Amino acid sequence: MCSKLYTPPALDVIHSNTARHGNPMALAHKECSSWAAGLEIPKKGKTILYTGCEYQMTAYISSMVGVLKVAKFQDGFFSAYKGMQAVTGKLGIDLAKIYGQVAGADKKLYEDIVRKAALTLKKLDIDFAYMDRELYSGALLYEYGYFDGLREHAKKVVSQLKDAGVNRIIALTPHSAEIFRKIYPKFVTGFDFEVVPYVCTLADRLKKSGRELSLHRPMTVTLHDPCHLARSLKITDEPREVLKAIKNLELKETEFNREKTVCCGAPCELVYPELSELIGARRVRELAGTGAEAALTLCPFCHANLSRAAAVSHVDIKIVDLIDIVYLALEDNNARS
Amino acid sequence: MPDHKKVFQDYYSGLLVSACDPKLEIGLARSVKAYRERRSKTLKRFPKTIELAKEVRLIKEESANRREELVKIAKENLESNGAKVHLAKTADDALKIIDGIVGTGKVLVSAKTLTGEEVELREHLESRGNEVWETDIGQFIQQLRKEKPMHYVLPSLHVSREEVAGLLTKFFGKEIEPDIATEVRTIREFLREKYFKADFGLSGGNVVAADTGTIVLIENEGNIRMSTNVPPVHIALIGIDKIVPTFEDAIKVAEVTWRYAGFAIPFYLNLISAPSGTADIENTLVYGSSGPLELHVIFLDNGRSALAKDPVLKEATYCIKCGGCLLECPVFQLTAGNYGGRSYFGGVGTILSAYVADGMSAAAGIAYSCARCGRCVEECPLSIDAPGLIAELRHRILKNEQVKT
Repeated sequence: MCSKLYTPPALDVIHSNTARHGNPMALAHKECSSWAAGLEIPKKGKTILYTGCEYQMTAYISSMVGVLKVAKFQDGFFSAYKGMQAVTGKLGIDLAKIYGQVAGADKKLYEDIVRKAALTLKKLDIDFAYMDRELYSGALLYEYGYFDGLREHAKKVVSQLKDAGVNRIIALTPHSAEIFRKIYPKFVTGFDFEVVPYVCTLADRLKKSGRELSLHRPMTVTLHDPCHLARSLKITDEPREVLKAIKNLELKETEFNREKTVCCGAPCELVYPELSELIGARRVRELAGTGAEAALTLCPFCHANLSRAAAVSHVDIKIVDLIDIVYLALEDNNARS
Repeated sequence: MPDHKKVFQDYYSGLLVSACDPKLEIGLARSVKAYRERRSKTLKRFPKTIELAKEVRLIKEESANRREELVKIAKENLESNGAKVHLAKTADDALKIIDGIVGTGKVLVSAKTLTGEEVELREHLESRGNEVWETDIGQFIQQLRKEKPMHYVLPSLHVSREEVAGLLTKFFGKEIEPDIATEVRTIREFLREKYFKADFGLSGGNVVAADTGTIVLIENEGNIRMSTNVPPVHIALIGIDKIVPTFEDAIKVAEVTWRYAGFAIPFYLNLISAPSGTADIENTLVYGSSGPLELHVIFLDNGRSALAKDPVLKEATYCIKCGGCLLECPVFQLTAGNYGGRSYFGGVGTILSAYVADGMSAAAGIAYSCARCGRCVEECPLSIDAPGLIAELRHRILKNEQVKT
């Protein structure tokens, strides 16, 4: 007989929350879909903007990491996990309540990015719907090895998409694009949807429409390619095509870009938060080394981890989502014309 | 039975301590920088290596599928060449076989061997009253530091010249300047006399050709030539995953190994198929000429054949240990070989730690320290899908699959 192997308790929180509440942080549906308030986006349609609740839960994950980090590592570190598990033990329902207030400002920041993502599609005349009771993709279940959990969850996701009459998914985040394209076919039957990463949708539309965007003042940025997009899905040209379409914007590449991009540290955050921060710190130093005023990200977890790393290691570079810049360029353009 | 939680915690402590060690940071940063320059020059000079690597992937796939057959063929051919071949199912079996050959109170020189690290060979031999000297410069440094190797090709890549100087000053009892050439010269002088005193020479093998029974050993230092040739008996401890079908295959695997390790041309390439021998008198072959009188080859399984049959994780047995993945890994760049088990490191190494070297309990912590960022796949000549393997391993950990305790 073998005793049970040890696995980090935070992972179990992610797993049980996803199974019971549809997403890892046990967010309520209205919290996940509040970005759509007042935008008049249809709730049924062939093409949907799929957020996977990822941006929406980023602030909560950050708060959770903050708690894990404050607890000193070693005994304290692990007892903090234990304490959290006790609190969240009752199906994890309280997580949002516990961390919601801490995450107030960040919460707004990430909700705004989703809102701008939707508004950007609208401004570019792309028709899309959304699901107001959207389920998370399950990427973290795969990440942490909960294959059985993913199999069950994926079935629910597929049937939700079918019920909504979807045949094309604009995947807002790299994690959801990757898991849909590469993992779902191995885990679930009937996943016959076209999956287009958000940035590809933008690149394609900008190219076809020939639309020019511009910023009202010159800006130099660098680009942090997300691992799951650049390496796993080999998508590296599209973000650059989008940036090229923006006047007054100069892209300064880091030495390690495209498929040679470097991890932001986020994947380790729930198990090894200190390590995660050190990895992030290295990456922000590289990004800052370009001399750019901002580093653009395409993934909410990259955004959160690099922002945190820049703050704690006192690296002077702003971390900005690419969506923010595109939205700003569209606004500036409109303001002028 | 291991306390799984404590094993996990201890691993994390070690990882964090190393990640916050400024000395390690200096040594590692210099090694990474030098590696990047060397490897990029190497692949520019020999661009065909990139194509050859694809062929090597196929060779390793075929070898994994023919594992048992290849062990048998390699054994037969080595025996007909005049070597003594031993098959070891477990680490303990390997140690017993070596005990039977070595006995106690002997002097041994060891060329760096990961398989030796896997079974803790040096510690075992020392505990039985033998004197063992590591002859690879990096591994010698690690021996003095009482630390495991921290990389496949560069065991002490995290140790700066300043630290080496301090270590040698203490060991030799005289002031050694922090100058790399001086340091190497000092170690050289110490080791040279050991080769001639040694009763046995130990080595591993980078790759083995089944059809000729040839062990290929890649090196720059000359320590492998000395260790395998000067002492009267050469003992090679080799994992069965190193056996490939043909001599041509073996050379291809070796070439890709040294190129991706960052070397354009290895200073020496050793091909060992038998103990030394001569037929100079009456054209009649006798063994034991200028080189070793005996060659013992121990093929170690230790979980490898089971792993080679695993539908998903068998990919880990393709690893040729060039170490290229490690130097670009974001976790390794902070922690060196602390991100790994006793002898295998990084993402792919975690699978080998789990099923070959260290067991599941130890591998659990390692498995969760991988970022699954996939940077290693870009560097791997065989494009081994470490992120996929790690996800699968985590799944097995959650299922409480335990092969060793």
